[in-house]
Amino acid sequence: MGFWEGVFKKKEMTIVSPAAGNCVSLKEVPDPTFSEEILGRGMAIEPSDGRFYAPVNGTVSTLFPTRHAIGITTKEGVEMLIHIGIDTVNLKGEHFKAHVEQGAAVQKGDLLLEADLQAILEAGYQTVTPVLICNSEEFKNITPVENGQVAAGDAVMRVEL
Amino acid sequence: MKTVQYTITDPVGLHARPAGLFVKAAAAYESGITVKNLENGKSADAKRIMAVMALGVKQGNQIELSVEGPDEDIAAAELEAFLKEKL
Repeated sequence: MGFWEGVFKKKEMTIVSPAAGNCVSLKEVPDPTFSEEILGRGMAIEPSDGRFYAPVNGTVSTLFPTRHAIGITTKEGVEMLIHIGIDTVNLKGEHFKAHVEQGAAVQKGDLLLEADLQAILEAGYQTVTPVLICNSEEFKNITPVENGQVAAGDAVMRVEL
Repeated sequence: MKTVQYTITDPVGLHARPAGLFVKAAAAYESGITVKNLENGKSADAKRIMAVMALGVKQGNQIELSVEGPDEDIAAAELEAFLKEKL
């Protein structure tokens, strides 16, 4: 925690984009699991690059064997899910490479997963990637702060703890 | 306390979408509900999505629900029906 955060006791957390691309509303994701916020509130990114980095500091709480989705829990208890593409579970791990294991501690900006976006598109799947907070109901406000093009590491969401 | 055992038939297992739907169903009850993956012995609060996904439940794995609270009878019966229909 930084000096000023300590002084003001600011209970807010910034989440950065896990990938380069275009930010969109979760409501635009063509899968009701995400657009109806069944898995939680957040935003989505249409990635222009297949490298996905940690959007927060935390621990890898779940990494699917299919490597298309990863969950990270922060020390504040924010449970983040990055789900690369729609229905990409059906690829059974093909076109995805993991750079971390379940249980690993990660820092914001660490490389988590790599996806071959072109191959995924050619296989008939969309690559839009929801980035959301599974335990949304535990936080006062979750505010997407960016619309449009971002680089990996740019602030995209704020969570009031 | 009521327990329900069920073997997952969904080819993707208890993954994002099914996990989300299951947790949403479980959260509707007042009872405390624990789900255990009998394959690896891990258990989780059935009302927490990340915890349920972290169980790593795959097709063919057997899970056990433990339901305890004022609406445990109906919760166990309805969640069993939900599992049979969706998972």
